[in-house]
Amino acid sequence: MTALLDSAALDEADDTGTTLARLFGAEFMKIRTTSSGWLFLTGFIVFTALVLTINGFGHHYQLYPQQGLGGPQALAEAARSRTPAGVAAIAASMMTSGQLFGVLFALLLGVLIVTSEFANQTAAVTFVTVPRRALVIRAKVAAAACCGALFWLVGTVLAAVATPLFLYTQHVSMSLAGWTVARSVLLNLLAFVAWGVFGLGLGAVLRSQIASVVAAMLVYAGSFGAESLFSALYNLFHQGWMLGAPVIAPAVASEVMITSGPAFPYAPPAWVGGVIMIGYTVALVAGGIALTIRRDVI
Amino acid sequence: MVVLLAVVVIVGLVWLARLHRGGTRPDRARTESAGPGLPGRPLGGKRVSPALISQGRIDVRGLTKEYRGVRAVDDLSFTVEPGRVTGFLGPNGAGKTTTLRMLLDLVAPTAGTATIGGVRYADLEQPIRRVGAVLEAGAAHKDRTGRDHLRIICQSAGIPLARADEMLELVGLGVAGNRTFRGYSLGMRQRLGVAAALIGDPQVLILDEPANGLDPEGIRWMRDLLTTLATQGRTVLVSSHLLGEMAQLADDLVIVAAGRLAAQGTVASVIGSMTYLSRTLVRTPEPEKLAAVLGSDAVVTPTGEGGAYITGADAVAIGDAALLAGVAIHQLVTQLPDLEAAFLELTAGKAAIR
Repeated sequence: MTALLDSAALDEADDTGTTLARLFGAEFMKIRTTSSGWLFLTGFIVFTALVLTINGFGHHYQLYPQQGLGGPQALAEAARSRTPAGVAAIAASMMTSGQLFGVLFALLLGVLIVTSEFANQTAAVTFVTVPRRALVIRAKVAAAACCGALFWLVGTVLAAVATPLFLYTQHVSMSLAGWTVARSVLLNLLAFVAWGVFGLGLGAVLRSQIASVVAAMLVYAGSFGAESLFSALYNLFHQGWMLGAPVIAPAVASEVMITSGPAFPYAPPAWVGGVIMIGYTVALVAGGIALTIRRDVI
Repeated sequence: MVVLLAVVVIVGLVWLARLHRGGTRPDRARTESAGPGLPGRPLGGKRVSPALISQGRIDVRGLTKEYRGVRAVDDLSFTVEPGRVTGFLGPNGAGKTTTLRMLLDLVAPTAGTATIGGVRYADLEQPIRRVGAVLEAGAAHKDRTGRDHLRIICQSAGIPLARADEMLELVGLGVAGNRTFRGYSLGMRQRLGVAAALIGDPQVLILDEPANGLDPEGIRWMRDLLTTLATQGRTVLVSSHLLGEMAQLADDLVIVAAGRLAAQGTVASVIGSMTYLSRTLVRTPEPEKLAAVLGSDAVVTPTGEGGAYITGADAVAIGDAALLAGVAIHQLVTQLPDLEAAFLELTAGKAAIR
């Protein structure tokens, strides 16, 4: 009986202390071994396929307006769309299909990565196994970032299959290797990663799963009300800065960051959007870490 | 920036690929244990070195936790020794769980210290190789299998994932390991909790109400396991409010009430300290005559079967008085209080919800 806990496996244990990489692996296992991670991925794939189809139809009518609809304006628009720059813009749009709401999947998965620990009371097990809470949250940040990147990769692969097929059927040719497309695709990656980490930070700050999910949806959806709000304010006060101010809303900042050209009239340059989006994300993660260290796990 | 993003993606994919291969870590040179008691080496029951004893000792000093003005734990001090099962008893709301959580660095004390082998839990190198804890029977993700729950702990602690299967076998969940936690009975959840606690072959075990929800066979299994672990020289601190179970299992007791220490010592010494609760059973043909000579302190309560319980005078005093009065004594038995009586006396009036 004295050998009750003797173990061949334990003799091979890695005694080099807790590393971020090891915890990152554990966080990925947590996502992999529950259904919600896979459900999110499946939902994202279905959603992206749907948006690709809808975008395809949209761009088709942009290139070939139906007779009698839209008039000369639509024809002029169609002619512009068939220029190399126009086709590049369409290709970029197709390649980032689903981004607008696709990042919501990354955002909500980020929220779940941390809040499910509290909802399922596994936080105590996690922090007893590794009492270094800041390190645990950092591993979760890395996992959320990679989940965002994974969603981006899946969405981009789907789009990379669909876009050339679409362009071929529309009798326009376009190399996807061009900088316009590559820039959109890579900035799209940044958006997915940032929103995944944003969700994680939000979850770490709020802890409650329901509160965090609702807050995430409100932040995302509410951002789009920012433009209306600030244009109403502009009409009242006529302050020029108000026209660019919607960028302080996270989802608008993200849109400004990834859009080539102005995302809305008077939008500030892309880097401003990037700085604001990343600023929110960093602030939430820092706050989440500080609170996680301070709060009791009951 | 592009390069940075590409690196992030590649690192993520490499990790995913590794996890899909089973998640085993690259082989490392085997780390030799430097002496008895290091994780991985069973501890010989009778050969516990002094160094090991100090490593396994739990020391709670002046521990206090205040929640919004209420002192859940109030200047609590006690010691738990290795090689013994220590029962941590108290009424509901006495601060048992809060104390255990402070010991594990889950809850920050308002004042005082809780150390294991002289070190705070948070400062332990590789804590789960030193300390195992069973906190709540419900502490696993409902959608996750028992095996995956244990594997995640292994992965976090740098222990090969194969250890998860060993632990499932040890606690009798070998077959159920592939089922999700949602379908586990309370007893199975407790067993999974024990498996998780023992993953690191810890010298110190802390269990919060591990017998809750177990059937009689499960309770017996738990008792045998904890006794064996203590015999191996490990420290076993187990909270419970099942007094009958504790009386059978524990060597030492720490009793708390209203966040404060009510008693500490071996089971025998805690009960022995309550001799004023003991009573003496006397059988005599002349109970009235005996009562008359015993004096006013003694209270005689007839049992209805030709005997009487006497409190307020011990067996020696009763025997001497009977001899002097010439009363025949047919039976004279001292009955010590049981753990339940001692517990209720020690915690009387302190069990209120605070």
